[in-house]
Amino acid sequence: MWAYIVRRILYNIPVYLGILLFVMLALRVNDPVYAYLGKSADEQQIQQKRENMGLDRPFYVQYFSFVGKLVTLDFSARSWEQEREVSDIITNAVPATAMITVPSLFLTAAISITIGLTCSFFRGQRIDQTLMLLAVLGMSISFLVYIIIGQYVGGFVLGSKGMGLLPFEVEGYDTQLSSIKYWLTSPGHAISGWLKFCGLPVLISVIVAMGYDTRFYRAVMVEETGKDYIITARAKGATSKKIMFVHMLKNAMIPIITRVMISLPFLIVGSILLEVYFGIPGMGRALITAINAKDFPVVEYMSALFAAVVIGTVILTDVLYAVVDPRVRLS
Amino acid sequence: MLRPTRIIGLIASVFSMLVVAAPASAQSGEKSAILPIRTDGPKNLDPAKGSTTYDNMACSQLYETLLISKYTDPMEMEPLLLTEMPTSEDGGLTWNFKLKPGVMFHDDECFPGGKGREMVAEDVLYSIRRLADPRYEYENWWLIDNTILGFNDYKNKFVGSQNFSYDEPVEGFRIINDHEFEIVLVEPVYRFLYVLSMFQTSVVPREAVEMYGEDFSFNPVGTGPFLLEDFIPKKHLKLVRNPNYHEVLYPAEDEWTSEDRRNRLHRAAGQRVPFLDRLEFRMFVEDQPMWLRFSEGTIGYTEVPAEYYEQAFDPRTKRLKPEMRRSGVRDHSNALLDFIFRGFNMEDPLVGGYSEEKKALRQAINLAINLDEFSTTFYQGNTVQYDGPIPPGLDGHPEGGRAPVSYRGTNLELARQKLAKAGYPNGEGLPPIKFYTSGGGNNAEQVELMKRQLAKVGIIIEPNLVDFSTLIEFINNKKGPFFGFAWSSDYPDGENNLALFYGPNESPGSNHYNYKRPEYDRMYEQIRTMTPGPERTEIYVKMRDMLIEDAPFVGSMARTRYYLINPWLLNCKPTERYYSWYKFLDVDDSKRP
Repeated sequence: MWAYIVRRILYNIPVYLGILLFVMLALRVNDPVYAYLGKSADEQQIQQKRENMGLDRPFYVQYFSFVGKLVTLDFSARSWEQEREVSDIITNAVPATAMITVPSLFLTAAISITIGLTCSFFRGQRIDQTLMLLAVLGMSISFLVYIIIGQYVGGFVLGSKGMGLLPFEVEGYDTQLSSIKYWLTSPGHAISGWLKFCGLPVLISVIVAMGYDTRFYRAVMVEETGKDYIITARAKGATSKKIMFVHMLKNAMIPIITRVMISLPFLIVGSILLEVYFGIPGMGRALITAINAKDFPVVEYMSALFAAVVIGTVILTDVLYAVVDPRVRLS
Repeated sequence: MLRPTRIIGLIASVFSMLVVAAPASAQSGEKSAILPIRTDGPKNLDPAKGSTTYDNMACSQLYETLLISKYTDPMEMEPLLLTEMPTSEDGGLTWNFKLKPGVMFHDDECFPGGKGREMVAEDVLYSIRRLADPRYEYENWWLIDNTILGFNDYKNKFVGSQNFSYDEPVEGFRIINDHEFEIVLVEPVYRFLYVLSMFQTSVVPREAVEMYGEDFSFNPVGTGPFLLEDFIPKKHLKLVRNPNYHEVLYPAEDEWTSEDRRNRLHRAAGQRVPFLDRLEFRMFVEDQPMWLRFSEGTIGYTEVPAEYYEQAFDPRTKRLKPEMRRSGVRDHSNALLDFIFRGFNMEDPLVGGYSEEKKALRQAINLAINLDEFSTTFYQGNTVQYDGPIPPGLDGHPEGGRAPVSYRGTNLELARQKLAKAGYPNGEGLPPIKFYTSGGGNNAEQVELMKRQLAKVGIIIEPNLVDFSTLIEFINNKKGPFFGFAWSSDYPDGENNLALFYGPNESPGSNHYNYKRPEYDRMYEQIRTMTPGPERTEIYVKMRDMLIEDAPFVGSMARTRYYLINPWLLNCKPTERYYSWYKFLDVDDSKRP
């Protein structure tokens, strides 16, 4: 297995370098210097700014310099917009994003798999039809609509400063939630704070994702219900619960793993819309701001990080296939 | 197994316990306020590098300038770090400044024993010198370019150098003693006093800049009414009261207008500021969360976003709705010093030039565009349309917004005549005119409206929506024949707007139109050194009318900003003229929801 992993990593190095090349070229289509100049800047200032940004160097020098920094894990480059190191931006943004994305992923997977199993077991019956109708309805509504209405109803009307029926705030984030020490030393406050600020965005994220995931998992499970081993299990008198959660679920793990693993990289990128509307200082917001501000260092490092996580996730997915299904051989 | 009803009850109990368990964020007895910043907020807290409104907003709480706008009338200035307004005995060439004694810098470890020291004259000049330091990339050099005697030579000496000297003598700097100094100008330009009220010239201590270096942005040390507690870019800026703040009093009762008195703004007259113990600026990228936070009473005031205008105001009467007034919410509005325009590149072969035909073409475009329709469609009618580049309220602004000779639309018949005079009857033979503007907001829709308006007389435009830095690049490189842009006055003087058409300021400078008229330039050089008065205003009017005739732009519009103020926030009269007024704010917690 380790030989397989090393081989896959080596095969993906040119892919990774190609991604970096593409990102850097795409960014440099337009000159970012003018976005950072003061009023009435003269030619001398423009040139000076370009030198300070390192953009006066030949492209290949910029590229290999960046690759060299990545290889040495040097994230000390400074953001052009924020006057902070990129490492500082990323290390502060990732935990905030994770506060939303990690619970969303687990909750979505757990609920969607359960609903998918239930629908496949009661395929064609009223419960299946109702749940699938709701899933399609959920998919038909734009994410932004969910956010706007959810923030208004869940945060403002029913939230902690409205009718008080729900513990949610309209927006905001307690930066202490990003600290593991806070969770360990004040778990009650941490959970309360998480609910206040992250509960509503997570709820919205789960509701939005459930439509897509439920239909996917239902399709996967339906394929399993028609198989011989399920008929055999029923004939042998296995209970519905055992059939669903022991036999079907286990055999459907490969597509489930694929679905979940594909989502992993987005755990760190986060949801731009959620972070922007709910004031969460996460990666999604940092990335979109950097793109709009033509903040090359931040965009390049974040892209590099994301690409590495995607490649790592794909490799890990293949390895997990072999772990889950003994019929799969890594070669 | 638990029944579903019991499960729900258990979850609800846990929720309510967890909500109750949340710790209070401010200590009881402390006066605090949360206020909004409607974007990502300040980029940094170093005045030498700051440029945006939000940098201004943040820096103005931590640092101070020699002069400041008056809270009761932001169009006027008063001394802040000085005992009196600067004086000059040679017609404005040499200015004498007397510093207020006992103004202390914030306590900080950059000082011996961590105790802030008194601000002295050398600190003021040091802070101005920073604008010439190449380390700060001359971000704000434009403020004092060619203004102070010997300062340009001083700056040029260190261009590209890593060894900028703060001790090199400058001919125009004369320190008399720790609390008195003089600045000699190259010529007596009146705008210099306005520059001394701009946050970029805030006074900072050398010790802090040298100690923190690049991190001074996140370790601000000034003389301001507040100290930095926590700054998370794009999230919040938390400040606490400066216990060593020098004596600044709330404006006297007789300085307030009758309307201000009706709003009880005068009640704290004569009291020492700041009143607040804590002040938090919270960044909102979207309108809805800001609006909801205001509606629930969390934030003290808000500017009214366009899509919520009709929730707050009757669109017909423009008065605050009764339900808002009943809840104790107060409204306030400000006419902004905006110059919103569409500019022409006067060096473009198609739309540029000074011949009668070229002028006629630009006048035709002016006459075909209906700014009133723009106002109604995109600004709820909350803008002022006016002729020329000088915003309302400033000397040189035409009375009623209409100059004696005006080419502001719409007058389609005259537009067609002008178009014929330009050699393009009904637009025949006129190639499509490329129009550049930034792609954000509702610019795409505004461009569509303009296309439709111009098409009525046969003028076709080819829109190009680009991102802002690309737009700047095109304009700076003189590639955009026709472009959409805006200018917000740096200080309340029409000279700031008239400078936009001064020849030597051509692109990449602020004269994006590349307008060059020797006669205009002569008048501009003359008004720079004149003090406000009828003579100067007369020249402003001539320059304005010359621009209207030559039509290097289509304009103009100025927005009116509307604010709503929650009843618990006291002494609040929002203005965007300057941002040091937050020290006057107070709260009445009994009025919070």
